[in-house]
Amino acid sequence: MKKFIADIIEAVSEQFQYRELLWQMTRRDIIIRYKQAAMGFGWAVFMPLINTAVFSIIFTQVAKIDTPVAYPVYAYCGLLFWNFFSSSLRFSVTSLVSNINLVTKIYFPREIFPFSAVIVCLIDAFVGAVVLVVLMMYYHIGVGPSILLFPVVLLVHVAFTAAIALIIAMANLFYRDVKYVFEFVLSIWMYLTPILYPLEEINEKYRLAFQLNPMTYIIDAYHNVLLLNKPPEPISFVLTTIVSLGLFVVCWQIFHRTEFKFAENI
Amino acid sequence: MSAIITFDNVWKKFKKGERHDSLRDLIPATAKALFRKNSSSELEEKEFWAVEDVSFEVKHGEALGIIGPNGAGKSTILKLLTKILRPNRGTCSIVGRTGALIEISAGFHPDLTGRENIYLQGAIMGMRRKEITSRFDEIVDFAGLSSFIDTPVKRYSSGMNARLGFSIAAHLNPEALVIDEVLSVGDVAFQQKCINRMKEFKHNGVAIVFVSHNLQAVSMLCDNALYLKNKTMAMGKVTQVLEEYLKDTIPNTDFSERYLKVNDFNLSSSSKSLTDIAPRTSLNFTVNAIPKIKLKDYHIGFKVVRSTDLLVVYDGNWTGDELGCPELSPNQPVKFSFEFTSHLTKGQYYISWHIFYGETQSFLVEIVPAGHFSVDEGRTWAGVADLDVKAKVS
Repeated sequence: MKKFIADIIEAVSEQFQYRELLWQMTRRDIIIRYKQAAMGFGWAVFMPLINTAVFSIIFTQVAKIDTPVAYPVYAYCGLLFWNFFSSSLRFSVTSLVSNINLVTKIYFPREIFPFSAVIVCLIDAFVGAVVLVVLMMYYHIGVGPSILLFPVVLLVHVAFTAAIALIIAMANLFYRDVKYVFEFVLSIWMYLTPILYPLEEINEKYRLAFQLNPMTYIIDAYHNVLLLNKPPEPISFVLTTIVSLGLFVVCWQIFHRTEFKFAENI
Repeated sequence: MSAIITFDNVWKKFKKGERHDSLRDLIPATAKALFRKNSSSELEEKEFWAVEDVSFEVKHGEALGIIGPNGAGKSTILKLLTKILRPNRGTCSIVGRTGALIEISAGFHPDLTGRENIYLQGAIMGMRRKEITSRFDEIVDFAGLSSFIDTPVKRYSSGMNARLGFSIAAHLNPEALVIDEVLSVGDVAFQQKCINRMKEFKHNGVAIVFVSHNLQAVSMLCDNALYLKNKTMAMGKVTQVLEEYLKDTIPNTDFSERYLKVNDFNLSSSSKSLTDIAPRTSLNFTVNAIPKIKLKDYHIGFKVVRSTDLLVVYDGNWTGDELGCPELSPNQPVKFSFEFTSHLTKGQYYISWHIFYGETQSFLVEIVPAGHFSVDEGRTWAGVADLDVKAKVS
């Protein structure tokens, strides 16, 4: 236990020491993503917007479902935060392997790669949130005191995302199969998360699959605090918080202790 | 003063060939990696030692050169020093802020401009933004790239790339510096600039480990050297270690004894030793041989070469006529001797000897190297000839 805590302190202090690099890496990834792209940051808004339009047609015209607020806002809100999750992982999974030159030649904490991938996607999500605000205004959805819990929800979400990001980035370094398996898992995961439909709409038979998924409670919490002016479901959200933070600490430890093998196994 | 770079009985192994692992092995392998404290320190199947029991230490203001053939483990040692790899046995550590001039432009991203890359690479090397900003102009000036600083690096030539990379590294403020073969890039003027910069670092008390195939640079910069051979290593003063290395690397030429049989040859000096002699020492080289046939129209040649960069310092040729012995008779022992003075500066040198036969237009015998000697003195930084300069102030 003592060693575990000492290792955490070491990992965190090293990260702090290299904070400048985390910032520079993030900056690099943002600059190169939108360099030579005429639409620039427009893409961060465009993708969830198109998805929202498609799903709005499906779930309001073809297979009508009940949502507590206007469907486009409900779907956009879910998709925005799901996209943050999925694109963070998509960038993280190859983050170590695509920087092979740095991993094998220069020393610095390797956590920086998945971490900066998560931060870049978080910035995209903030840009995309502008559209959410516009949609909310258009559908006359006001916010209440529950919005004060938004930072907490976001923190839990980021911790959970970073935990998975660390593990898959590392796993993909050792076994390139991970990248393919992960794509497949992610697309199933999306439909097992109540992003486009409320949990209540799910057939009882399948509900357990949703209830074992931490993302269910995270997306649900976003819907509650942003659109419904309700706090998150207390018990399930506290559990999700504990699981997410615990997972983050454990995954970071695994990553940190395996780091020294990266250069010779990549 | 205590050592700031220490390398203590370090062993490091690698695996040969490809790993054919699948996802199936991921979970047990990860679990194993977690619960095992250190990787096993014994050789397993298909593994070999890349670094075997290497030890050294470097103190403030000292420079250690690491030399040896390709694949001897030089770069592995640097990777162990910079914590990219972890040793299987032994310990290595650097106390204080470390700068690494390894793959100096590895962190560059082709789509970013020179300016953006300076900040990125600087951060990779552990500099704070404030530091980079305060030295930004110096870095750009040193690299000589002021007019291209806002151009994406993908449009740079490879020389420009390397210059920018070195320049960033050269403006670090390290206590220990680890350098790997960075001199192979850039033009001669820039290389000279790099060497001077490294000397400056050393002068300011930085401990340096320098890996290079440029032996001239090693002998100019380093006090001590480590020579990695297969399985063994030699460590000591740079002149002695270089000499040992050069003896192993300068190829010995074979010669036929059909026309002339060489019995022995010998290089000697008036100061007895041939190692670290003073400039302007008298040396003597002799060859004892027996011609097998009557030799007319022959030339003999005597060469002095600086070993570290194969610079020919002297190359003299004499005909038999000039030597007052136009003809060598069969089976009559003959002695060739060359007396010379080492008007040379600090460095390693070897001599070679040959005899050329005009009738067949071929070398009868060529002995390379025919002897080694090294000169040591404390005044010159570079150069080759001892011009017996008398400096005065009045």
